Amino acid sequence: MASIEFRSVTKRFGDTLAVDDMSFRIEDGEFFCFFGPPLAGKSTILRMILGLERPDSGEILFDGRPVTEVGPAARNVAMVFQNLALFPHLSAEGNIRFPLLERKVEAGSIARRVAEVAEKLHIGHILHKLPAHLSGGERQRVAIARALVRDPVAYLMDDPISALDARLREEMRVELKRIQSELGRTLVYVTHDQEEAMSIADRMAILEAGAIRQIGSPTDAYDRPASDYVARLLGAPPMNLLQGSAVDGEFRLADGAIALPLSGVPEGTVTVGIRPENLSLAPPASGAGATVFEVEPLGGFTVVTLSAGEDRVRALLRGQPKVETDSRVALAVNPAAVHFFAADGRALSAASV
Amino acid sequence: MTSIRLDHLTKKFGSFAALKTMDMEIRDGEFMALLGPSGCGKSTTMNIIAGMEGPSTGRVLFGDRDMSGVPMPKRGVGFVFQNYAIFTHMNVRQNLAYGLKVRGTPQPEINRRVTTIAEFLQLTQFLDQPSAKLSVNILQRLAIGRSAIVEPAIFLLDEPLSNVDAAFRAVMRTELKHLQRQFKQTMVYVTHDQLEAMTMADRIAVMDHGVLQQVGTPLEVYNNPANVFVARFIGSPGMNLVPATLVERDGQLRADLGAAGISAPLAPELAAAARTAGAGEVWYGFRPEELSVASGDAGLAAGVTFVERIGSRTVVHFDIAGEPAKGVFENDVALQEGSAARLAPGPDAVRLFDRQSGNAIGGSTHGLH
Amino acid sequence: MTAVPMTDTAAPARTEAQEEKRLGLFLTLPAQLLVLFIAVFPLLMQLYISLTDWSPLEGIPWWQAYELWNDFYNYIDLAEDPRWWGALWRTALVMAVCVPAEFLLGLGLAILFVDNFRGRRVFYSILLMPMMVVPAVAGYMFFMLFQSGGPLNDILSTLSGQNVAIAWLSSPDLAMFAVMVADIWQWTPLMFLILLAGLVGVPEDQLKAATLLGANWWQRFTTIMLPRMKTIIIIALAIRAIENFKIFDTLYIMTGGGPGVATETISVYIYKLTTNDLTWGYVAAIALVILISLSVVLGIAIARMGRSRATQP
Repeated sequence: MASIEFRSVTKRFGDTLAVDDMSFRIEDGEFFCFFGPPLAGKSTILRMILGLERPDSGEILFDGRPVTEVGPAARNVAMVFQNLALFPHLSAEGNIRFPLLERKVEAGSIARRVAEVAEKLHIGHILHKLPAHLSGGERQRVAIARALVRDPVAYLMDDPISALDARLREEMRVELKRIQSELGRTLVYVTHDQEEAMSIADRMAILEAGAIRQIGSPTDAYDRPASDYVARLLGAPPMNLLQGSAVDGEFRLADGAIALPLSGVPEGTVTVGIRPENLSLAPPASGAGATVFEVEPLGGFTVVTLSAGEDRVRALLRGQPKVETDSRVALAVNPAAVHFFAADGRALSAASV
Repeated sequence: MTSIRLDHLTKKFGSFAALKTMDMEIRDGEFMALLGPSGCGKSTTMNIIAGMEGPSTGRVLFGDRDMSGVPMPKRGVGFVFQNYAIFTHMNVRQNLAYGLKVRGTPQPEINRRVTTIAEFLQLTQFLDQPSAKLSVNILQRLAIGRSAIVEPAIFLLDEPLSNVDAAFRAVMRTELKHLQRQFKQTMVYVTHDQLEAMTMADRIAVMDHGVLQQVGTPLEVYNNPANVFVARFIGSPGMNLVPATLVERDGQLRADLGAAGISAPLAPELAAAARTAGAGEVWYGFRPEELSVASGDAGLAAGVTFVERIGSRTVVHFDIAGEPAKGVFENDVALQEGSAARLAPGPDAVRLFDRQSGNAIGGSTHGLH
Repeated sequence: MTAVPMTDTAAPARTEAQEEKRLGLFLTLPAQLLVLFIAVFPLLMQLYISLTDWSPLEGIPWWQAYELWNDFYNYIDLAEDPRWWGALWRTALVMAVCVPAEFLLGLGLAILFVDNFRGRRVFYSILLMPMMVVPAVAGYMFFMLFQSGGPLNDILSTLSGQNVAIAWLSSPDLAMFAVMVADIWQWTPLMFLILLAGLVGVPEDQLKAATLLGANWWQRFTTIMLPRMKTIIIIALAIRAIENFKIFDTLYIMTGGGPGVATETISVYIYKLTTNDLTWGYVAAIALVILISLSVVLGIAIARMGRSRATQP
């Protein structure tokens, strides 16, 4: 088991700055998620942990010991690749036992280990099959089993379930979380799916252009985003970010459809963030309001898109409320659930209301 | 604009029946989603509509016109492929112009229409760029524009969002829906993602194993699934289904869920339908979103196996009488992993399905058969 | 649980990557030297010999050829040698007829074979057979076929009802024709094979998309298939052009370059110079001229291909 630490790590590819002076520490036994859009540096970080890339500067430490100059084989980290990289000519069992053969584990213990992980991942019945005869979900499990069968210091997974369909992804991520907590082993996970990241991570790092914008528990990042960038990335539908201004003792947003008491708005606020689930609709009072632009019923929830002046505002309502397109509504917001951002995107702490 | 009628369609590949009797009407100007897991026959249905494959038996009608024997280029069908099938050796303009060019449309007319459609789809600035390196949302618009320029009566889209990043899919969904509203064309959209179908379609046709399971508006299939397959497939998470036996208690019909206890009385309408059907062994179904935590001895006994907070809501995984079930709650829900809980599905939220056939008992007037 | 298996001292490991690189260089050095030797040594030797009048009959070893130094006279002779220019012209003629013919036939067959049909595998095997025949054997086959009393004339006699005795291989024009037929017979399959691979590689979705947009077969062929096969077509033509330029074995067995010099190509001419005239200095000069011209032509072709690939990923 190991903690994984980056100290001021920088990595360039030609003119591209892939990882920019990055420092973090992943604790022993943690399920840690790197989340961000494509090219944010997620895969480069993984490759540096694996030892496939060398940082240009900075240090990488496992359990406090520097490993920057240690080759991938000696680092003993198990990896599940996005494309799974199963050997097509080997059966599921052959694939799973492969890392053990290479490491000269004795035969009896190989069989035992393979049986153990196979049971853990519910793939005992397909061990004899070739990858070509397995479904996407089964292949996924075999690839994960191949990583689990080893006894590494940490597991790395690069978007391992993105190829599965939505229903299977929901199941697999819960299963992964369960297996990881049973093993109690450090797991570093890369994904571009915010729902997945929030669902499985103990802690997560939100990346942008090779830098960490926020690091913390998913709940923390969701409830207290450090910047409008983080706020926008987490949540579906994403947070409404509205420009506002102080008028007549109120802070007005969305063409006046939303008004906040000025006393609760911190100095320097330019953008106000409101999560769709914290907005509610009411019959229009006189004066300002919004027009219903679109209603998307999801069954258990309904997404209502409103237009107010130039702004589009989304509200996530529970159940299946009757909302007519093009009707006028008033917007109500829970003032305690409002986020404030300065001109540079930095979050401002709300003054008590 | 045209309606589409599928009349007793079947399709066999060797001994494998990809499609077992498909009857469906897609209305003029409608956005219809063909939804189902892979291998359910949705793509086969679409290929038959496009004329890429012939049905083994049955007919396809556009309006009143029987399309049997009408070859694919003559059907007037716009097709957007899963990978968009952009001609990457041509630039954007050449891609857009392709359909007009092969029909021998005069060049000034081609120029005029390319300009118009490029403006409409906001592709003007990309017109002279090679199409190989465009981003996926531009490719999608280009694929739609290339089909739309020849003014097809019908648009068929084959899982166009399946190769798109999760984060971007929501944006693309919205864009696609607005395009359809603007074009006002009959659109058939194939997908395995129930969320895409729910958010975009006017109506959804749910398919499984080559059989049409249910056709209805998104809320119809969500609220009144015709059978257990639809109940599980629609919704995120899908409907919880626990095996139960119907029993009379104090003159009221209830469901006995074994170790989980006995349910609250069934709603009168559902109870009446169940009595009429003479139902005994059933699936007791309820939506994860319509579950509340009961106090004391009320409700059903359950164990909490996993708690998953996903931003705005918390999904709690339960074990109810040995069956997995889920509940969607607000984030302040006081349930801990490993603890016991009492659960009460909303009284109007309960659905029953016959354990033998899997079909809904009562309620659903929108089911097919 | 395994401990992190690594030394605490990072210093010795520092140069691991550099060391690996050095080791790699060391291990491949013999192979690299060998390649250098194989490629460069004969070239230098040829250049050296080509500047002399050396011949094995002179009775001095080749490295003493400097005693017979003749400056650039071999090259000047070459420029004024009518037999060389004739051979070059005939080689070019064979190439100009055979390569396009093989290309068109190969492409036509490839188009037929893209779609599956009954017996496709059998026909496929039969089609590829000529390629497997040893060229010398093919030469012998066609030599027999084109005899005045051979099967071809027999067939023509039967068909026309009169006695046909065409002297295929001893009339200058017909001999050239016969040689071309043999080359096309033997090498169309290769063209077919390469072009079929190219055709199969054209994305099916794009062809379907074009069909749905109303394109007929010919339009699909010219606007989708051909542009997408450009690279492979260039490769196929280049391979066959280079091979065809060297045409020798089949031809030599059929006609020996005759009648007279009617079918004498560059390879046949060189062969005769080498075995009959033994003017090896002259041969070396020819070889160098051919090598350099071929490299220039090929270089241009590859450069153009690179350009077209850049615009068509």
